[in-house]
Amino acid sequence: MPMTATDTVLIAERISKRFGQTQALSDVSVSFRAGEVHALMGENGAGKSTLGKVIAGLHKQDTGTVSLLGQTLEAGSLDGAFHAGIRIVHQELAQCPNLSVAENLCLHDMPTRNGMVDFAEMIRRAEELVHQLDPTIDVRRPLGLLSPGRRQICQIAASLDRSEDGSTNAKVIVFDEPTSSLSISEANTLMGITRQLAADGLTIIYVSHRMSEIFGCCDRVSVLRDGKFVATNVVAEIDEPTLVEQMIGRRLSTPGAKGSLKAAISEIADDDNHAPPAGEPRMVVRDLNSPGKLQDISFELHPGEVLGVGGLVGAGRSELFDALFGIDTRATGSIVVDGNDIAGKGTRAAIKAGVGVGYVPEDRRIQGLFFNLGIDENILAPIMPEIAGMGGVRNAAEELEIVQRRIEKFQIKTASLRATTPDELSGGNQQKLLIARWMTQNTRVLLLDEPTRGIDVGTKAEVYKLIREAAEAGLAILLVSSEMPELLALSDRILVMGDGRIQGELTGTDMTQTNILTLATKENTPIGV
Amino acid sequence: MTDQPDPKRPTKSQSTRGGSVFSKLFAHQESGLVLVIILLMTALSIYGHFVPSESKDSIVLDESAQIRFVDAGGMEHGSGELGRNQIAGYRIIQDGKTTDYPAAGSRYDSDARTLFTEHRANRFLNKGNLVLIAKNASFFAIMAVGMTGVIILAGIDLSVGSIYGFAAILGAMALNKLGTDASWMLSIPIGLGVCVLAGALCGLANGAMTVGFGVHPFVITLGMMASLRGLTVYTAQAAYEKQSIAGLSESFTTGFIKKEFFGVYPVPIMFMIAIAVAGWFVLTRTVFGRRIMAIGGNETAAKYAGIPVGRVKIWVYTITGALAGLSAALYIGYLGSAETNAGNAYELQVIAATVIGGASLMGGRGTALGAVLGAIVIQLIGNAMVILGVDPSVNQIVMGGAIVLAVVIDQTKQRLAARRG
Repeated sequence: MPMTATDTVLIAERISKRFGQTQALSDVSVSFRAGEVHALMGENGAGKSTLGKVIAGLHKQDTGTVSLLGQTLEAGSLDGAFHAGIRIVHQELAQCPNLSVAENLCLHDMPTRNGMVDFAEMIRRAEELVHQLDPTIDVRRPLGLLSPGRRQICQIAASLDRSEDGSTNAKVIVFDEPTSSLSISEANTLMGITRQLAADGLTIIYVSHRMSEIFGCCDRVSVLRDGKFVATNVVAEIDEPTLVEQMIGRRLSTPGAKGSLKAAISEIADDDNHAPPAGEPRMVVRDLNSPGKLQDISFELHPGEVLGVGGLVGAGRSELFDALFGIDTRATGSIVVDGNDIAGKGTRAAIKAGVGVGYVPEDRRIQGLFFNLGIDENILAPIMPEIAGMGGVRNAAEELEIVQRRIEKFQIKTASLRATTPDELSGGNQQKLLIARWMTQNTRVLLLDEPTRGIDVGTKAEVYKLIREAAEAGLAILLVSSEMPELLALSDRILVMGDGRIQGELTGTDMTQTNILTLATKENTPIGV
Repeated sequence: MTDQPDPKRPTKSQSTRGGSVFSKLFAHQESGLVLVIILLMTALSIYGHFVPSESKDSIVLDESAQIRFVDAGGMEHGSGELGRNQIAGYRIIQDGKTTDYPAAGSRYDSDARTLFTEHRANRFLNKGNLVLIAKNASFFAIMAVGMTGVIILAGIDLSVGSIYGFAAILGAMALNKLGTDASWMLSIPIGLGVCVLAGALCGLANGAMTVGFGVHPFVITLGMMASLRGLTVYTAQAAYEKQSIAGLSESFTTGFIKKEFFGVYPVPIMFMIAIAVAGWFVLTRTVFGRRIMAIGGNETAAKYAGIPVGRVKIWVYTITGALAGLSAALYIGYLGSAETNAGNAYELQVIAATVIGGASLMGGRGTALGAVLGAIVIQLIGNAMVILGVDPSVNQIVMGGAIVLAVVIDQTKQRLAARRG
């Protein structure tokens, strides 16, 4: 029986799932059709990712059923789902960066000959899979050397593999936040691949909270809120504000706002006149170089200014921040903050009083948080020595006071200051915690690397407000963001980076998405190592 | 899982706080260990009381001594006046002193004029034995406090045993040079100073090489373990042409470390308590200690929080070396001599104590008190084997099992806690 685009392939019926005391899903029913890209959307914690994992058998639902083509699947069985033709692509999927792409793709079923691995056969099989998506990937290279986007493509290729008995093709693929670590162009490639797979008749379940992707590549979108099903919409028939309203259950507060990321941004953009920098600069960077990473970086940063840094992933933005903060000890040149040259002097020179560089890094889980320590110590980490008394003995009373003040100011929702660890907080609160760490009396230059990555719209609005307020209070801020509207709205000026260089500076009305992309993709010879 | 818990709901830490007394007791590794220690001690006390000693004391009566047989009513009788089971006790009068022995466990041989008495004191629960356990534990516990810092950093120090041996030989050489009659004002600062300084320098070398070369501490300290042992033997051979150095200043040995108070030698134990308290204070109440925890929890994040990671690591290894040196000072003070193979394979016991004490080899978790309790548990198990008269090789088997069991229990507990959360 030939399938048409409206055939229902997969039905998730009355799914409930509880983690400890959190009801992640309650009584959710969604049906998916062949040949469609069906988005699952919702704020962090809405249950969209959990639903995707229940469908793929990674999580076992407490009640409810998942059925594929009329057949009920065994709950919580990854194998069962796999053999039925359901695949999942997600960030934490097992990958061995030290092994080649081909080995990764064939890990579950290494071809052998005479008891030894048959590398020729393995490479043939891997190429067959990968090259239908991207013919330029060399399957002999270690997976860890590929860019995140290409790694993702390899994962998708792996999901297209037939199961071992060779009978079941993939029918449904669940993409769990597939673009969260990809650059703009990589994300575009991925969306193209997604459309291509759907055109081949596969059902794609696309878990994401990025509006542009929903409108860019999805046919229908089902919205979840607090673990409950809200609605399934045809993407062509819905607009962004309605979708956001379904997600958060209320319009964002600004009167007259359209209730979206744009509204969140307009809230802070309205009273922002993008004043040209005036007076003495706080930070002057001249001829900053780092072997293989940065070349001839020079710029000035003024108090009260938000200087945006645009560019694609791999442009050297985070590397620039590492150099400014003293983590990259091979950097040369001069970084002068109010008369102190801190280039090449390490992080202690950067954070010491009178200089006061603060750094909210890109990956809060890996670079930011201490999961074995309480909320209080996570906030206090950089300034603890200054609060401490003789011989580094901690001053409990003052610590508590400072932490309480910050928690209040940043509205971090936590059960306890000392006993709660960051893994018990939501993503948005984790991010606010990191920003709170660096918004101290001492900090005079703040480096923000993707400060709103992976947090929900409501928290984003809060973070934007905090950033603007801090700038108005005289902080000098450098901001890296891959979300164009965010970068454009928050920045007073924008530096665009590419290949470890500054490709250009945009001010005033020149600050547009098109101009940023044009500069960012400008051809350049890669810097020598 | 991107689904985050609702921040308003009570967290696992809070629910533990409000939980039953039982769950409260097991909220910390230390309380579990205290319970294990109490159980072990109770069992050993009961068992130690019922096991008769193989050796019997015999009192040979000389010509001047008299023996009286006491009945149940307390009346004295002469030889042969009472039947065997009428005798309630023996009374010996010798040199004008009268001593009574209960009949149970005693037997009088009239031909040999000898009273055989069984040793009836509890073999575990007596002052001497308990102090001995604590003294033995103190050598390991002091090193384990330092090792806890290293393990919290997700590092390891295999060289503590060799540092211990090296510091002991150097300390013994210094105290030997001072002579047996040296004043305490010289011997104590020199004895402690040489040992601690030697240990600290070795630890500094460990830390500096680990950080400077960026090599895993396993490799660096493994190399240090082997080469220091060689250096120890070489030094003793070159200076004294023997493997054991005795003749230390008595003001340091019996005058300080092995000074007798009320029939026992408590000085090493006092050092152990002081180091445990200091370790607890540093790890929980100082910036340095919290930096150790932070680095162990997430080294990358520590770097991005401006924590001087390399410097903290070097200090931790230095302190661990210094504590191994202190332990060596207690050892030579207590025994009055040093051997070149002293501390051989101690690193394993020290690491075991730390791990039993709840430190995670993955880093980020561990306490000084736990390490000390871990060392005591190990000594108690060893003592139990002696009391039970078990072969020393069985002792090792049991010890190995205990270490694995402790870690498995701890991991299971963590996993359960994570699931509850």
